[in-house]
Amino acid sequence: MARLVVLGGGVAGHTTATFAAKWLGSEHEVVVVTPNAKWNWIPSNIWVGVGQMSKEEVTFDLAPVYAKAGITYKQAKAVSLNPEGNESSDKAFVSIEFTEAGREGQTEEIEYDYIVNATGPKLNFGATPGLGEGSQLGEHTVSVCTADHAVHASKKLEEAIEKMKAGTRQKFLIGTGHGMCTCQGAAFEYMFNIEHELNKAGVRDMADMKWISNESFMGDFGMGGLHMKVGGYVVNSKLFAESLFAERNVSWLIGAHTNKVENGKVGYELLDGTMGEEEFDFAMLIPPFAGVGLKAYAKDGSDITSTVFAPNGFMKVDGDYTPKKYAEWKAADWPKTYQNPTYKNMFAAGIAFAPPHIISRPMSSPNGTPINPTPPRTGMPSGIIGKAVAHSVTDLILKGENAHLHEAPMTKMGAACVASAGKGIFDGTAAAMTVFPVVPDYETYPGTGRDTDYTFGEIGLAGHWIKHVLHYLFIYKAKLNPGWTLIPE
Amino acid sequence: MVQEIITYPRPLSLEYGTDVRIYDEKLFSLLDDLKETIKANNLQALSAYQIGSYYNVIVFRNEEGKLVEMVNPLQIAHSGESIEEEKTLYYGDISAKVKRFTDISVIYEDREGESHSLKLSGNTARVIQRKLDYLFGSSFLDRLADDEKAKFEAKLSMGSDIGKENYCPTTFQRDKIIKAINLLLIAMVILFLVSFVVDTSLWKYQLYSSFIALSLQVVYFFYAQYEGNKYSSCVSCSIGNIIGTTLVSFVRLSVVMIPSYFFM
Repeated sequence: MARLVVLGGGVAGHTTATFAAKWLGSEHEVVVVTPNAKWNWIPSNIWVGVGQMSKEEVTFDLAPVYAKAGITYKQAKAVSLNPEGNESSDKAFVSIEFTEAGREGQTEEIEYDYIVNATGPKLNFGATPGLGEGSQLGEHTVSVCTADHAVHASKKLEEAIEKMKAGTRQKFLIGTGHGMCTCQGAAFEYMFNIEHELNKAGVRDMADMKWISNESFMGDFGMGGLHMKVGGYVVNSKLFAESLFAERNVSWLIGAHTNKVENGKVGYELLDGTMGEEEFDFAMLIPPFAGVGLKAYAKDGSDITSTVFAPNGFMKVDGDYTPKKYAEWKAADWPKTYQNPTYKNMFAAGIAFAPPHIISRPMSSPNGTPINPTPPRTGMPSGIIGKAVAHSVTDLILKGENAHLHEAPMTKMGAACVASAGKGIFDGTAAAMTVFPVVPDYETYPGTGRDTDYTFGEIGLAGHWIKHVLHYLFIYKAKLNPGWTLIPE
Repeated sequence: MVQEIITYPRPLSLEYGTDVRIYDEKLFSLLDDLKETIKANNLQALSAYQIGSYYNVIVFRNEEGKLVEMVNPLQIAHSGESIEEEKTLYYGDISAKVKRFTDISVIYEDREGESHSLKLSGNTARVIQRKLDYLFGSSFLDRLADDEKAKFEAKLSMGSDIGKENYCPTTFQRDKIIKAINLLLIAMVILFLVSFVVDTSLWKYQLYSSFIALSLQVVYFFYAQYEGNKYSSCVSCSIGNIIGTTLVSFVRLSVVMIPSYFFM
């Protein structure tokens, strides 16, 4: 009997564990280690953040689902890896620390034959002074990164609406809280959902709204932009976003690295080197991501973290990590099988793997501060990678060590994304976007690096319906209800 | 070399605009061409897109009369707004009212790839914003407000879709047929549900509706091929796509008709 341990229960981890459990059957064991008791459909958190959904609607308990799938579930966080075992045993193991109520702080060592690191990101609020401490959100701003953060955000929004109703103007500042953030899409969605709610509440004229982002042009969305279809016309996402912001009366500031957050005020540095400040009454700033800080130790107990993980804490896989100039970046640099080059029984999926470089053009201010979006790894690529890794591990266990590994490079993968701009059955809007490939391949597609026939966006009410249907569909799938394997990632 | 400036009705470029990644001879000669074309035509600024290149490059004459090369220029901050009558070389003498920022902050690179930034205001800011609109494959027209755009299009002798036959268009007449079929199918589903609450048999209406849907599918199949022949480089016009769309529509019709046959 072989044991597969999956660290993390987000989109990538959950997909890996559930498919591996299905394919491996009861003869082998799948263990999931995740600090959360609940699974969260993160894309819908923005609706929780404007009070249009409850926390219960976007989360469900993991324990019964894993019990049904025959997966051993440990509500704990992984602390360190010993891929060579320790002095008393050759067997690889992972050390975990329980977070489950009643067992907090207890530790355990789980031996494994294969391990998949799908720990996702650490929300690195601590990277910007005042934005928070470590992975804890600070007191000045709100966030929609977790369901609990979103509940808190919706309460703050309600308070702001009450103030406006009482006649006090409110300034909303939405965007990214650091120069190296990803997930601009989520902030974009939250901004326009707030705008929609303010209109509904009849207080839009009492609100000043401003977008602050590390993108170097409007509509970059962390992936270098795309072309949108709007009412029969094709416009690039830059003009599309600029027009949308003008139409909804939202001003913007881009190429910005938020370097300080204080009560009612943020400090920023722009790509042209200028420093400035922006005041706010309500701010939602996305934190940058980092690896969760797992440690790795060799058999003799020496620290091998830098062998297994990249400096940003994400796990090294089969990508080419040699530092190269932007002009020399190639599609071939990106990982295909997500297998760790040193320890072949170790894989990473979703946000947890270390990308060889960013996707957008690297940029920095004259002061040397890097300001550019980092690679987005949304649900769709995470799910596809998770499934490919599950396939590889299953084959390694069932067919032997020389089994062919399954590939899912982000340079040959498309991604679809539906960004909500307001929730409502008849007056909702959302921008549906598809990008192929996620990582530009300049050799295959000279120029933009993307296949322009499949890199497209469209905005309208239908997009909102799709987003709403996806919410139910993916929660249905994640709960492993009948037919779950038929629903694509 | 002085290049010909593309003007309406010739299409601007068949490629989407993109950033410069490699700073080589090709870029240098593009920049030199832009400068020479500006001098020969006594212009204030020119975007590479206007001479048939899809790179994000602009050259403009600053207030001292010096030509400034901007590679991958981006506008990052702005303030103030004004609406003024504007013309662009591409559309010749036709003008339109355009809302633009009065002060902008632009970052760009030189031909060596070194980063620079500029704060611009007044007429220069307006001209640079107009040139920036050409980058990433857009034009003056996309910047106009809806009503102004309609007025502007009315003045164009050959419409605004000019040159797009080489593109894959984004909307087809044939999509309207599929839309009609889909609406009919929705009506049939409603009819099917209604048949459970009313006593009279509605099967006859369902059957006639299905004949109409089927005929529309046949019309779609042939019309889509006719329409697709107009566009040479269009993936979504391929016969495979048309067969697929027709089949999907037929399957949908079957899904509605099979239960209708047994339960209505």
